[in-house]
Amino acid sequence: MADRKLLCEVVSPENIVYSGEADMVVALGVEGELGIMPQHIPIVTPLALGELRIFNGGQREFVAVLGGYLEFRENKLTILADAAELSHEIDIARAEAKRIAREHEIAEAKASGKMLLEAEVSLRKALIRLRVAQKG
Amino acid sequence: MSKARAVLSRIKSVESTRQITKTMEMVATAKIKRAQSRIEAARPYAIKMVDVLNSVAQHVGAGSHPLLEVHEETKNVVIIPITSNRGLCGAFNMNILRRSEAIYREETAQGREVSFVAVGRKGAGYLRFAEYNIIAAHTEFTDRPTFIEAKAVADEVVEMYQEGSIDKVYIVFNHFKSALEQKPTIHQLLPVKQAEISGGGGEAEAGGMSVEHEFEPDAVRVLYDLLPRYVNTVVLRALMESAASEHAARRIAMKNATDSATDMIENLTRWYNRARQAQITQEIAEIVGGANALQEA
Repeated sequence: MADRKLLCEVVSPENIVYSGEADMVVALGVEGELGIMPQHIPIVTPLALGELRIFNGGQREFVAVLGGYLEFRENKLTILADAAELSHEIDIARAEAKRIAREHEIAEAKASGKMLLEAEVSLRKALIRLRVAQKG
Repeated sequence: MSKARAVLSRIKSVESTRQITKTMEMVATAKIKRAQSRIEAARPYAIKMVDVLNSVAQHVGAGSHPLLEVHEETKNVVIIPITSNRGLCGAFNMNILRRSEAIYREETAQGREVSFVAVGRKGAGYLRFAEYNIIAAHTEFTDRPTFIEAKAVADEVVEMYQEGSIDKVYIVFNHFKSALEQKPTIHQLLPVKQAEISGGGGEAEAGGMSVEHEFEPDAVRVLYDLLPRYVNTVVLRALMESAASEHAARRIAMKNATDSATDMIENLTRWYNRARQAQITQEIAEIVGGANALQEA
């Protein structure tokens, strides 16, 4: 019988965020949500800004993944995240402050398109952090 | 004896200098360790990145991305020298700048335009003073490089490369070999060398090569997304190596400074003691001479 669990590793450019076994991992790919279970076929896909849910036994782990890559092969799942934070490591106050600041920014600077785009991405990141933090 | 007093104050001043260099040495020693563990922590990402890139490149075939493509004619070259923001680290910055100038001469000799993207205050200052063509200067980076900082540098050159306004990019940085050795290294950042991403470069485990991946949405799109990220990673790595090397270079420089301060203090103290001794001897001679003169009277 093949492995009943898969190995999941979340790495960011600066460190390893999470490493452990899992029954199933659900990620948000650019094409939509994606559930990976053991013995999935090898796959590579870019990830959207979103949350990553890792299910292991009765436990669940939430990770805010702010863009990156997912690769699965030989029962090993690797998330190459641009930035990633475990739910219980997120600084809620900081994310909240950022959300408020960005909302102001967007309200004020409706003029220039580029500014707005950056602020909106930043706002979405803050929102994802908050959402993930509340689940953890 | 005013000369002796002057030497005494000189000793005091050298002593306080030594205290500073000694402290800087210890601070640098502590920081090397931290910078080194940061390099270690970044390694899994870099290795995995090459791994994924490997399998994508195999699938899509060579030369299918603007960043992989070698421009027909090389006219404009960019050099990214990575220097420190602070001095007192020996030949650390000069090594980098000298290498960069060597490439500059080589490339201009072939009739190419060369410009610089300076990272670090020292390099920016030097290049500006020497009146080189500087496209951008990043002097705000800390000694704890982040992905965002690396991205700022990488995005600039990637964009210009894709537009076709530049044809080649070198990055010059101090490679951290050990706490005692830093090696100035020249790396061709763009175009990305095929060999780097297809085998050889990565630690592709046996059997890993034969895996056929499924790509979502498709391999070309994945490659487009992945390559700029790869360039970021290379820049980040260079920044991290440079940060660790800077501390290592500073430690050595400060150790040497401390040692020569110690020598100097020793010599000065010897001189001072001798002068003091001579003065006492002379005073005794004067008193004896005076007493003798009184007796004779």
